[in-house]
Amino acid sequence: MRKLLLLLLVLTFAIACTPKGGPSTNNAKKKLTIAVIPKGTTHEFWKSIHAGSNKAASELTAQGTEVEVIWKGPLREDDREQQIQVVEGFAAQGVSGIVLAPLDNRALVRPVADADRAGVPTVIIDSGLESDEFVSFVATDNRKGGTLAADRMGQLLNGKGKVLVLRYAEGSASTTEREEGFITQLKAKFPEIEIVSMDQYAGATRDTAKRASENLLNRFGDVVQGIFTPNESSTAGMLLALQDIGKAGKVSFVGFDSSQTFIDAINANQLHGIVVQNPFNMGYLGVRTMVDSLLGKPVEKKIDTGVMLVTKENLQSPEVNALLHPPLDQYLK
Amino acid sequence: MVDLKQNLNRLGPVFGLLLVIGVFSLLVDTPGRLLSPNNLRIVLSQTVIVAIGAIGMTLIIISGGIDLAVGSTIALTGVVTALAINAGFPPSIALLSGILVGGFVGVINGLVITRLKVVPFIATLGMLGVARGVAKWLANQQTVNMPGTWLNELLVMFPKPSWLLVAPGVWIAIILAVCAAIVLRNTVFGRRVFALGSNEAAARACGIATDRLKIWIYGIAGLLFGLAGVMQMSRLRQGDPTVAAGSELDIIAAVVIGGGSLSGGEGSIWGSMIGALIMAFLRNGCQQVGWPNYIQEIIIGAIIVVAVAIDRWRSRS
Repeated sequence: MRKLLLLLLVLTFAIACTPKGGPSTNNAKKKLTIAVIPKGTTHEFWKSIHAGSNKAASELTAQGTEVEVIWKGPLREDDREQQIQVVEGFAAQGVSGIVLAPLDNRALVRPVADADRAGVPTVIIDSGLESDEFVSFVATDNRKGGTLAADRMGQLLNGKGKVLVLRYAEGSASTTEREEGFITQLKAKFPEIEIVSMDQYAGATRDTAKRASENLLNRFGDVVQGIFTPNESSTAGMLLALQDIGKAGKVSFVGFDSSQTFIDAINANQLHGIVVQNPFNMGYLGVRTMVDSLLGKPVEKKIDTGVMLVTKENLQSPEVNALLHPPLDQYLK
Repeated sequence: MVDLKQNLNRLGPVFGLLLVIGVFSLLVDTPGRLLSPNNLRIVLSQTVIVAIGAIGMTLIIISGGIDLAVGSTIALTGVVTALAINAGFPPSIALLSGILVGGFVGVINGLVITRLKVVPFIATLGMLGVARGVAKWLANQQTVNMPGTWLNELLVMFPKPSWLLVAPGVWIAIILAVCAAIVLRNTVFGRRVFALGSNEAAARACGIATDRLKIWIYGIAGLLFGLAGVMQMSRLRQGDPTVAAGSELDIIAAVVIGGGSLSGGEGSIWGSMIGALIMAFLRNGCQQVGWPNYIQEIIIGAIIVVAVAIDRWRSRS
């Protein structure tokens, strides 16, 4: 009996301290509930996606289609099993639709298919899923991002010189597309630029990236005029390595993704361009696409959320400012 | 009086489960939703891995031991199974290899505990790191993708053939639980496990070869952890060397909530299964009600502490 009482006590306690505000679907039958499931919840990137989804929900509600966004990440960040459980839970709960950033392009195939069979469609955002049982894929056009970086590189080097590419990691689809976009565009548009190295990998962290960069610079440091890195950690590692040996600012360096360090480096002329994704728009378009599809409107199977090249020249423009500092406070209460 | 107390011990977890289901049924806005067929299918499928692990863990905990390496063993055996399928072995052989690797890990745990006289907590804490490391090594630090086989269908939401009602893995877990309960209650082996956990010195004095018994217990539990690993692989449809980190705690919690005593000699398969279901329903219920993750973590954490507090109180009186 004592066990029972204690259990009751714990549950009452939990209920008592829970803020009211769960999904209440019973008062309005036509209200759409959209579950948005990120890969994790703490990174700035996911916060921007959250804010974007909320913006879409409030816009749609103002236009007369009542939409509620439920934001829920996996219990343990980057744990595929936990994310699967979240998808399954929402499928059983019978939300109107799911917007999902899959942690893995295969592990999430079955839950998404099961949800579809249970009558809950899914829009995939950010990273791909090896399946066609979803409504639409809303993500950064990574190849285009690589192309933008190549154009910038060609412009910086006046169309000739030696360039090295430090790849991110084997088997990472998004960054491989960025690298291929860069290499293809550079070869096609600037035939006089030679790529001296493009077979080295930065690895998962800033630390491994710095080590790989040091090794590469040790070998090619005296001959290269340009460097391209395809994501946040590889760009950060390369920047650290360049600063260490005093070459930062002496080679043309184009990176990917944004952080305060990169913006400082751009201002210090150590970084000459970063290609920036638009997670706010990704969250926004993810929810819009899901709702459009639920309302029976035709949607594209693949939707580009936009990439942009940020340089010292356009750093102060309102457009870049909106991209680098999305209105998080306004949409995340 | 004794009978009454025993019955209460046995029924306590069931009341707990009914309470959890009842409370959440009232909290969700559509009352039937929590017990809808689809949701039950999901909760049962999600329980399978913890439940199969908890069968093995119940054996170990009754015998007075502990195994912290379950999560790592699940990851390792999942990777091994996926690699075996990739190497061209038929799925049944891959399944068997996963289970056997689990058993092998368990036997090593047993040997370290008995031969090297390392307490189970430390021996399996070591294995937690070793098995995880080996899994990452074998998998080349990546997930191991493999072609689809019938192993992938073990924990689907809509089983084929549909008369199964729930995923085949759920049936496997139920059958294993029934077998284990019978073995524990009605066989010499089962009684010896209890004797070992209640009083090891007395058990030895009665002529039980306690060291050999321990190796058997960890080995059998390991086989079950291996099967749990195959189930995990089936859910992910890939061997993931980073999966199930921390799930040893879920499994131990299931056993403890179900009345298992960490000082040994007490526990039941039935209770552990209910414990596993309580946690699965709590997770599922929190999500259905729309509570954030931290509320789930707080509730589950609190319930574990409460259950252990009762365990202490019971062993004192």
